[in-house]
Amino acid sequence: MLAVSAASMPALLSLNACKGPGVPAVLSGPPPVSDQTTMLLHAVTEEQNLIWLYDKVSAAHPELALRPLLTEHRQHLDLLSARVVEPPGKKVPDTVTSKPAIAATSAAAVAQLRAAEQRAVNVLLSRLGGASPSLAQLYASVAASEATHVAVLDSLGRPQ
Amino acid sequence: MTTTSTTPAESDITALQGALAAEHAAVYGYGVVGAMLSGADQAAAHADWIAHQEARDTLEGMLGKLGATPVAASPAYQLPFTVTDAAEAKALAALLEEGVTRAYLAVVAVRDRTLRSFGALAMQPPANRAAAWRGSTVAFPGMPAS
Repeated sequence: MLAVSAASMPALLSLNACKGPGVPAVLSGPPPVSDQTTMLLHAVTEEQNLIWLYDKVSAAHPELALRPLLTEHRQHLDLLSARVVEPPGKKVPDTVTSKPAIAATSAAAVAQLRAAEQRAVNVLLSRLGGASPSLAQLYASVAASEATHVAVLDSLGRPQ
Repeated sequence: MTTTSTTPAESDITALQGALAAEHAAVYGYGVVGAMLSGADQAAAHADWIAHQEARDTLEGMLGKLGATPVAASPAYQLPFTVTDAAEAKALAALLEEGVTRAYLAVVAVRDRTLRSFGALAMQPPANRAAAWRGSTVAFPGMPAS
């Protein structure tokens, strides 16, 4: 027979109280997503937007050698998505929120990608202050990678 | 600034000293790199050498303002490998830039928001120079390779 000590009774009573119809509102649902996770989910969406743009530009202008940059964006997306752990089981949305028209010429498409990369760098840098140290480092590293993409796109856009 | 204290955190100083040490090493290393290159590559190495000296001076100024004594350069540094030709010189340049990028990424982990932004911006030029010397970009500059 299981012995229940007097000391453990209050805890048991509290747990039983949560199961009934009178569940306190504060325990009735999952906790709200933290600011950190909200920021992270935005960063995930931004990578998805960049990947969509690279896919479309690559399809419209196959002469552009964009595969290495696209591969690195997929790596960014994978690592950012892997950091979404709150609340447990949180599903990372697979949603592209920006689908601009693709520029007609390859030079204009390169400029379009360059602008998108630079915008992404700026947004990531604006998120550093509110992030945990390790997330801030991830944002800074992804931003540095995207800054190197800007330089690569600059060289692609230059007349050979 | 995220802290109200006027005393800088020890971790801020440590991270900046790490970046300064990396800049010292880069200034030394580019002396070796430049000696093995010629033409446009040598000009690029010279420009990069100047950039590292300027970054070193910036860090020394920042540390001085925080009341810390900036770490001094070593008289000489052990090279990670023997540099006997242009290809090895370029590989060393890439390695130096990766080391500097890593050191600035450590600055991004401090609590002070201004220093975080400084570190994140400061790691972009070495990340770009590393990519230029290597001939390719990487997904996560400054982070350990997985």
